[in-house]
Amino acid sequence: MFYRVRACDRSTAVGPDDGCAASCRYNSFVDPLATSLATTLAGIVGTRHVTTRAVELLVYENDGLPGYHKRPRMMVSPGTRDEAIAVVRALAAADTPFVARGAGTGLSGGALADGIVLVGMHRMRRIIAIDPVAMTATVEPGVVNATLSRAALPHGLHYAPDPSSQTACTIGGNVAENAGGPHCLKYGVTLNHVAAATVALPDGELIVLEAPRNDDIGYDLLGAFVGSEGCFGLAVDVTVRLTQNPARICTMLADFVTVDGAAEAVSAIIAAGIVPAALELIDAGTIAAVEASIYAAGYPTDAAAALIIEVDGPVAGLDDDVAAIKAICSESGARTVRTATNPAERARLWQGRKKAFGAMGRVAANLAVQDAVVPRTKLAPILRAIAEIGERHGIRVCNVFHAGDGNLHPNIPYNGDDADESARVHAACKEIMELCIAEGGTITGEHGVGLDKLPYMDALFSPDSLDAMCRLRDAFDPARRANPGKVVPVHRCREWMAAPGARK
Amino acid sequence: MSVRAPAEVLSTADVAEVVRAAHSAGAPLRVLGSGRWSGAGSPAARVGADLPTLSLAKLTGVVAYVPSDLTLTVRAGTTLAELNAITAPNNQWCPLLSWGDDDGTIGATFATATAGPCANALGRPRDIALGVEFVDGTGTTIRGGGRVVKNVAGFDLTRLMVGAFGTLGVITEVTVRLRARPTVDRTLCVAPRTADVELAAIIRRADVQPIACESIDERLAGALSLPAGCVIARYGGNAALVEAGHAGASAAGEVTEIDASVWTRLRALDPHPRRLDGDPFATSVARRLKERFDPAGVLNPGVFGANPGSVS
Ligand SMILES: Cc1cc2nc3c(=O)[nH]c(=O)nc-3n(C[C@H](O)[C@H](O)[C@@H](O)COP(=O)(O)OP(=O)(O)OC[C@H]3O[C@@H](n4cnc5c(N)ncnc54)[C@H](O)[C@@H]3O)c2cc1C
Ligand SMILES: Cc1cc2nc3c(=O)[nH]c(=O)nc-3n(C[C@H](O)[C@H](O)[C@H](O)COP(=O)(O)OP(=O)(O)OC[C@H]3O[C@@H](n4cnc5c(N)ncnc54)[C@H](O)[C@@H]3O)c2cc1C
Repeated sequence: MFYRVRACDRSTAVGPDDGCAASCRYNSFVDPLATSLATTLAGIVGTRHVTTRAVELLVYENDGLPGYHKRPRMMVSPGTRDEAIAVVRALAAADTPFVARGAGTGLSGGALADGIVLVGMHRMRRIIAIDPVAMTATVEPGVVNATLSRAALPHGLHYAPDPSSQTACTIGGNVAENAGGPHCLKYGVTLNHVAAATVALPDGELIVLEAPRNDDIGYDLLGAFVGSEGCFGLAVDVTVRLTQNPARICTMLADFVTVDGAAEAVSAIIAAGIVPAALELIDAGTIAAVEASIYAAGYPTDAAAALIIEVDGPVAGLDDDVAAIKAICSESGARTVRTATNPAERARLWQGRKKAFGAMGRVAANLAVQDAVVPRTKLAPILRAIAEIGERHGIRVCNVFHAGDGNLHPNIPYNGDDADESARVHAACKEIMELCIAEGGTITGEHGVGLDKLPYMDALFSPDSLDAMCRLRDAFDPARRANPGKVVPVHRCREWMAAPGARK
Repeated sequence: MSVRAPAEVLSTADVAEVVRAAHSAGAPLRVLGSGRWSGAGSPAARVGADLPTLSLAKLTGVVAYVPSDLTLTVRAGTTLAELNAITAPNNQWCPLLSWGDDDGTIGATFATATAGPCANALGRPRDIALGVEFVDGTGTTIRGGGRVVKNVAGFDLTRLMVGAFGTLGVITEVTVRLRARPTVDRTLCVAPRTADVELAAIIRRADVQPIACESIDERLAGALSLPAGCVIARYGGNAALVEAGHAGASAAGEVTEIDASVWTRLRALDPHPRRLDGDPFATSVARRLKERFDPAGVLNPGVFGANPGSVS
C-alpha cells in the first residue's frame, strides 16, 4: 500500500546488461551454492541475463509499493519460452524457491524476493499471434498491457482489462493479480478475458490450462491460476480474448457539491440497469492534486466529488443511456454534467484519472495506496467514515476509485521520513481495512494480497478456509517454492499428511 | 461399510456431519440437488444409485439480498425458479437460464458449470459466482470469495468449486452477481429467405448483438411449433437498442415476434447435450486436488466416469 511515484517510474527500467559474469563476486564473499546455480542458469539464458551483484539487484528490491524492501539473491531473465521452462526446471533441480516478476508495478509487494531467485519476465515481450477472426491473442507474459491493445488496433480490437498502470504492467503480472481497471465494470476483469495459459509448474512440469468449454468436464484450473499471485507456477505464454472496439464512446464528467450525492448517483445508475463502460469517482483531494499537476484535466476544483462516466457500444440506444445518466446525476444533486464529444477531450478527462496516483505522489514524497471493495450501497457512509478516520489521525485521505464496482482506493500522501506521520498513516490504513471488512467488504479488489495484506487475511477468512487455500496452492506447488510466504499467512498452512502409500 | 445419510439435510452443519462420518468410514456418498439431471446420460447417473444420497434439496432460502447491490446469497438447494421469484419483484434476474429447467438447484448449476443460451452475453457460472461456502471431503466447512462484486483476496476457491461436479466439496451456499432485467426484452423468430444462408452467424455478427441466438433444427422445430431452419434471437436493452437489433434481424431474414417463454421450452429440450469430454484427472494438479480435498474419495465417486489415479 505504500507507493512512491519515482519508484514506479523506474519500475520498467531493467538492470544494466553490462555483461556481469554469473560467477562474478558480490560483496566480499562467494556463496558457492548460489554461484553454481548462477552458472547453471547462465548456461541457459546467457551470462548477461543472470546477475548476483547487489548494485544491479537494487532496482528489484521493491515493486510499486516501496514500504517494503527485499533483496533478491539473484536475478535471472529468460528470453524465450524454452529458456523460461529450462530455468524453472533448473530451479526445481536445485530445490530453490523463486519469485516471478513482470514490470514490478504491483501494489502489494507480490514480486519481492527475500534472499531468493527472481525470475524476470521483462525480456519475453513477443506477441506470438493475433487471430482477428477468433478474436484472441497469444503473447509472451512480458508483453506490456497497452502494447497488446496497440497491436490489436488495426483489427478494430483491444484487450479490455485496462489497469491504470497499463503503459507499464505486463500481461503475466495482470494474470497473476487478476488485474482490473476502469473499464472492467462493463467488460469484466482479467479472469473473464484469459482463454488459456501455458504454465511451468514449480516442479518443472509443463501444463496447458484452458478455459472450460461447454462439452468438457474437469476442474477450472485456469480459473484457479488467474489471480494466484505467482504462487502456482510461471506463466510462459498466455492466450487472451480481444474485444471489439465500440462503435461509439461517450464520456461524461458530473460534479457534485457533496460526496454523498456522487455516491448516490453511482448506485442509482447501476440500479437503473445501465451498465456504463466505466464509472469512476474522484474526490476533492484528488481533484486538487490532479489540477495542480501537469495532468490537469479541467476537473472543477470547488467540487466535493466528480464522477467520470463512460458509456460505449453500438450507436443505437447510446444517446438514451446518456440522457438517463444525466437525469440521474441531476436528481442526485450534480451541478453540471459535461460531455466530452471528441477523442482529445475524452483523453484529457481520462488522463487526470489514470495519472491521479502520479499527481498525488507529487504532493508528498510517499503515497499509501489502498485497495478494498465494499457493497456499492454503502459507499456514502463508508467514505464519510474514512474521512473521519483520516481526521482523527491528522492525515488527508484522497479517494479515486472504481465506484461502479464499489472498489475503493483511499490514498494517503505523506512524508515517509517523518516517523510519527508514517505511524499515523499505518494506523489509519489498518482502521480503514477493518471498516471495510466490518461492512461486508473485502481487503483487495485488484491489487492482490501479496505481503501487504497478509495481516488482514485472518480477519477475513477462517483458519479452515485459509488452510483450504493452502491445499489449492499445494496442488500446483506441493513443495511451496513459488513465491513463498505470500497471500496466505504461513502459520495457516497445515502440513499435508497423505494417506499411506498415496505418495512416492 | 456404508453410512446412512439423512434423507435431507437442513443446514451446513448437517452436511458437514454427514460428510465427516462418510470420510471416517471411507463410505462414499452421492451428492444431489433436485435430482433433475440424474437420469440416463447425465454424469450424476454414473455414481452408484445404491450409494447413500446426500440431498441438498431442503437446504434452501435467501441468506442475504440487497437489491441495489445486485448481489444475492442463497443456500445451495434453492431452485432457479425460486431465484427468479426472489429477484423479479426488483426487476432483476440471475441470468443463468441454464440448459435444463428451473427446478434445478443453484448449487448443482454451479457444480456442473451449466451454461445456457444467454451465457455468451450475460455470463456463465464461473463469471457470475462471487463466493461459495462448501464442505470438503473431510467434512470441513470452507468459504471462498465474498459477497462483493470484485474480490481478489486469497486463492480462488470459488472457481475451484464451479464445474467440479461435487468431487471436491459439497456446495452449501453461493453468492451470485445479479443483473437488472433489460428494459425491453424481445424475442424474434427469424426465418431464412433463402435456404443456404448462415442466419445465426449473420445475426451474431450484426452491430447490435442479441443476448441469445439459437438455430432451430427439425427436432426442436417440431417440439416448439416453429419453422425448421429458423433462428430465435433475443434482444435486450433500451428501446432504441432493441429496435436496432430488430431492424438488423429483419435485414437477415423474415422476422416474427414471439413470446419469451420459448426459451424455457427450448432449455428443457436440451439442444446441446453435453458430451462431457476429457479425463479430468489427466493432470497431476487435478489428481493432487482430489487427494487434498477428498482424501478418502467419498464425494461422488465415478461422476467423471473415471477415478483419479494415484499421484506420482
Ligand atoms: C433435461 C435436462 C437437460 C440438461 N442438460 C444439460 C446440458 O446439456 N448441459 C449441462 O451442463 N447441464 C444440463 N442439465 C443440468 C442442469 O440444468 C443443472 O445441472 C442443474 O440445474 C440441475 O439441477 P439439479 O439440482 O436437478 O441437479 P442434480 O441432477 O441433482 O445434480 C447434478 C450434478 O450436480 C451435483 N450437485 C448437485 N448439487 C450439488 C451441490 N450442492 N454441491 C456439489 N455438487 C452438487 C450432483 O452430484 C450431480 O452430479 C440438464 C438438466 C435437465 C433436467
Ligand atoms: C500507477 C499504478 C496504477 C495501477 N492501477 C491498477 C488498476 O487500475 N488495476 C489493477 O488491477 N492494478 C493496478 N495497479 C497494480 C499493478 O499494476 C497490477 O497488479 C499489475 O497487474 C502488475 O503487473 P506487473 O507486470 O507489474 O507485475 P509485478 O508487479 O512484476 O508482479 C505482480 C505479481 O505477478 C507475479 N507474476 C508476474 N509475472 C508472472 C508470470 N509470468 N507468471 C506467474 N506470475 C507472475 C509476480 O510474482 C507477482 O506476484 C496499478 C499500479 C500502479 C503503479
